[in-house]
Amino acid sequence: MSEAQLHTHVIRAGSVKENNENLAGNTLLTDNLWRGAGLALVVVLWQVGVNLGWINAFLMGSPAGIAGEAWRLIQSGQLLDDTVATVSATVMGFLLGSILGSLAGLLLWFSRTTARIIDPFMVALNGLPKIALAPMIIIWFGSGMFSKVMLAFVATFVVALLTAYQGTHQIDRNLINLMRSLGASRREVFSKVVAPATLPWIISAFRLNIGFALIAEIGGEFISSDRGLGRLIFVAGNLFNLNAVWVGVIMLMIVAIVLYVIVSQVAKRLLPWEQGQK
Amino acid sequence: MNASIAHSATLAARTTDSLQLLQSVISLDEVKKTFSSSGGESVDVIEDITLDIKQEEFVSIVGPSGCGKSTMFNIISGLLEPSAGTITLRGHDPKRGARIGYMLQRDLLFPWRTIIDNVCLGLEVQGIPKARRYEVAHDYLARYGLADFAKQYPNTLSGGMRQRVALIRTLITEPDLILLDEPFSALDYQTRLVLEEEIVSILKDAHKTVVLITHDIGEAISMSDRVAVMTQRPTSVKKIYDVGLSRELGSCLKARSDVRYQTFFDSIWNDLDIQISGGAS
Repeated sequence: MSEAQLHTHVIRAGSVKENNENLAGNTLLTDNLWRGAGLALVVVLWQVGVNLGWINAFLMGSPAGIAGEAWRLIQSGQLLDDTVATVSATVMGFLLGSILGSLAGLLLWFSRTTARIIDPFMVALNGLPKIALAPMIIIWFGSGMFSKVMLAFVATFVVALLTAYQGTHQIDRNLINLMRSLGASRREVFSKVVAPATLPWIISAFRLNIGFALIAEIGGEFISSDRGLGRLIFVAGNLFNLNAVWVGVIMLMIVAIVLYVIVSQVAKRLLPWEQGQK
Repeated sequence: MNASIAHSATLAARTTDSLQLLQSVISLDEVKKTFSSSGGESVDVIEDITLDIKQEEFVSIVGPSGCGKSTMFNIISGLLEPSAGTITLRGHDPKRGARIGYMLQRDLLFPWRTIIDNVCLGLEVQGIPKARRYEVAHDYLARYGLADFAKQYPNTLSGGMRQRVALIRTLITEPDLILLDEPFSALDYQTRLVLEEEIVSILKDAHKTVVLITHDIGEAISMSDRVAVMTQRPTSVKKIYDVGLSRELGSCLKARSDVRYQTFFDSIWNDLDIQISGGAS
């Protein structure tokens, strides 16, 4: 291939990318307009339905009621307080479980025997709904924040471990043979092939684990807690304050989206070679 | 620049040194390989391979499909032990593939490494400091027209370019023997012809000894000094042709248009005894 040929290739690749970006920008804008319009329509219909008496505001809540309740909870500082409590416990448990789980899963690559022996236990733990452990964990660690951290930890650890370990099994044997032919030690094979090749798997476990950590956290708060969005929802539900329930639910959605975006941004940084792929 | 001078100096020293000691780079002497299946039966894959490959020679091994080419590859590269016979690399027992560089059908570039870091892989494993290995790698990339791609990831390169990077990654560790296992079979025909030409000239410039394992007769004739034709399984060497067209004419493409090319092609084709099994047997 001549240099000139290579050059045209590069230029073409560049212009294609630009076109795609423009296209992506335009579709994103129209998509967002449609999303906003759809959401606004639902809110308006809901409020109109309540005003006309077609929708029971006591059982369903109403947009105006939700806004009022949100304003009250913001002003009293309770919403911030509960959000901080939920987010901090979730994030701590999530990070602890996902990081330690991934590390454990990766390290199992070194010992197939260990992996084989613990495999059924891991599968059993993975199948178990982790929230079933909540009463025990709350008895052991109290109803404060620490028990919620532990719950989120338990909910994320096994998923991360199993995913990372499976990831180490998907590695092309030829890559490992190549390293060996270059005279690499097992530790070098691990650090230069196994760990980076498994990274996309680990990232996907992190993505899943945001959801699992939140489920465990909210479940734990339902059972016993002194603060948090789960507690807000649970208490308001018992008092038939549907508007406050909605405020908690909407806040949780926002929390989930923010956490997901953060993990995605970190993933982009960690997987630069996967950018620019279609 | 300093580094590259030192680099070629060691290359030169090694070449003269080895020329004085031995001519033969790799010898296979009555190599045999038998696999035992789980049922206790044993399957003979390689019956007898005796082959002596000299310094700077380009030898192709051609065989019908299923003749145990990949077993041969694994034995030569030191990933498998032969069941009987000996294999010596520069007069020594090749210990686990040391000093053999290989290139496969798939380039096996690490997607998470930039081109330059892929090229540096062997030097990194050898424990050469980063500044030094980048210097050497830049030199190689510049020589083969890939300097502009040093910071890119492999997925942005075409198949042919990726294979060139894979070859440079192999060359940079200065192996005694380069083993090519169907390196072009995933590429389209035009890229393949261009790359054959390029790889032969790169390897000749670097004074490398090469073994090419392939099922492509044309590729073997156009690139090689000698072509060893294998039998069906259990495999042995059926015949060895002294081709040398590309060396004589200085180009693989010229070799393909030489009158002798077709003659070699026909006799190798006949040796392979390939039958299109339509019905019985």
